[in-house]
Amino acid sequence: METTIKVENLSKSYGSFLAVSDLNISVERGEVFGLLGANGAGKSTSIECILGTKKADSGTVSILGMNPVTERKKLYEQVGVQFQESNYPDKITVSELCMETQSLYKTFTDYKELLKQFHLMEKEKSMVSELSGGQKQRLFIVLALIPNPEVVFLDELTTGLDVEARRVVWRSLDELKRKGLTIFLTSHYMDEVEVLCDRIGILRKGKMVFYGTVQEAIQSSNCTKLEDAYLYYTDQEGLNYESI
Amino acid sequence: MKAFRTMLKTELKLSIRGMDMIIFAIVFPIVMVILLGIIYGTKPAYDGADYTFLEQSFGAISTIAICAGGVMGLPLLISDYRHKKILKRFKVTPSSPILILAVHLVIYTIYSVVSLISVYILVKIFFHSDFNGSIFGFVGSYVLVILSMFSIGMLVGGVAPDAKTASIIASILYFPMLMFSGATLPYEVMPDTLQKVTDFLPLTQGVKLLKATSLGLSIDNIVIPVVSMSVLAILCISISIKCFRWE
Repeated sequence: METTIKVENLSKSYGSFLAVSDLNISVERGEVFGLLGANGAGKSTSIECILGTKKADSGTVSILGMNPVTERKKLYEQVGVQFQESNYPDKITVSELCMETQSLYKTFTDYKELLKQFHLMEKEKSMVSELSGGQKQRLFIVLALIPNPEVVFLDELTTGLDVEARRVVWRSLDELKRKGLTIFLTSHYMDEVEVLCDRIGILRKGKMVFYGTVQEAIQSSNCTKLEDAYLYYTDQEGLNYESI
Repeated sequence: MKAFRTMLKTELKLSIRGMDMIIFAIVFPIVMVILLGIIYGTKPAYDGADYTFLEQSFGAISTIAICAGGVMGLPLLISDYRHKKILKRFKVTPSSPILILAVHLVIYTIYSVVSLISVYILVKIFFHSDFNGSIFGFVGSYVLVILSMFSIGMLVGGVAPDAKTASIIASILYFPMLMFSGATLPYEVMPDTLQKVTDFLPLTQGVKLLKATSLGLSIDNIVIPVVSMSVLAILCISISIKCFRWE
């Protein structure tokens, strides 16, 4: 197996606050990796340091064998990114946003094909701001896929969506996984992680407290469900959640 | 180049859809010309002057769009795009956020030039004014005014911590400059003391240059406006390059 994303000993502090400490992640080609943790546990900082939009204090990152800071232009021809918050100008339509994104890449998939695939074709002329939550998230997946990437980063893709919309997004991700795309995601929903992720990492106060498969997480915590295992690992007060 | 063209086309469409610049940079100067034209017609600027009041105002009115784009439009746009993380988004593409900034500098330049041309056509056709100055001098001055005004906008947008602050700073700069630099209220009708104060506004210097070059007047002291505007532009550009906040 070929390692697609390799993070070694990554650390980042803001002043005296240690946001991420000694992070090690290795994601193989075609794998879906989920980075989990409570709000403020360091997920976004980790993702940003891996992508190179934030400068890590120490450690090394390599994506597709490239350094995301020094080889940024070459790397991002093959990597799609969707950030946590939506980022698009006011009054832009779906097709305009797709065309703008497409123009940034040397090679790309025709956005109309992707819109069709994600059932958004009839929204082509609509304002992005008028889409429903689920449609918007599907559009952001489309944008991340326009460069025809080998790796995609999806930060809290389904936060704020209703159950049905989340299922639609899952199905799309599942399809991508089957096509061999490497996916790095963060999520708050354990049901989704259980369905999608081959391996997970659980962050607590910037430290990786668990790293392995979903099954391993459940077994090593003596729980029956991932949600309980997650709480076991992120449990900050040492409370026994089984009593709830 | 393909990226630049696509972005320019789309962002220009978005900007026109937003309407602000159409109103403040295109319609507003036209209304000013019509008002001044109706009030002053072909009256000379003062008794015995060999150019009309309107001809004298042409250079001033042509800066309204530059001021709107540079001092109001740019800071608001930059802080908005930063807040929406659009600038940051460009950092995870093969392109760079500088592309989108360059696109918008070109868009505001387009507004300025369209405004200049429409104002010129209007004074020429409806109010029979002539351009008797030096085209070279005028264009040079016009470029210098664009440079200095846009650099102020880059600085404000680049260093303001959020959209709200950017909008406050932009308003503090924009409205006095629009009112008192001679762009709208003619400098010549201001009392002496007010003229002395407004001489400190960078746009006042620009308006003086444009007036002199459009009327073909010899300017008593060309050094002060040229040097002050160039220094301002260099200063603003270097600070914004050094301190620009991408997120």
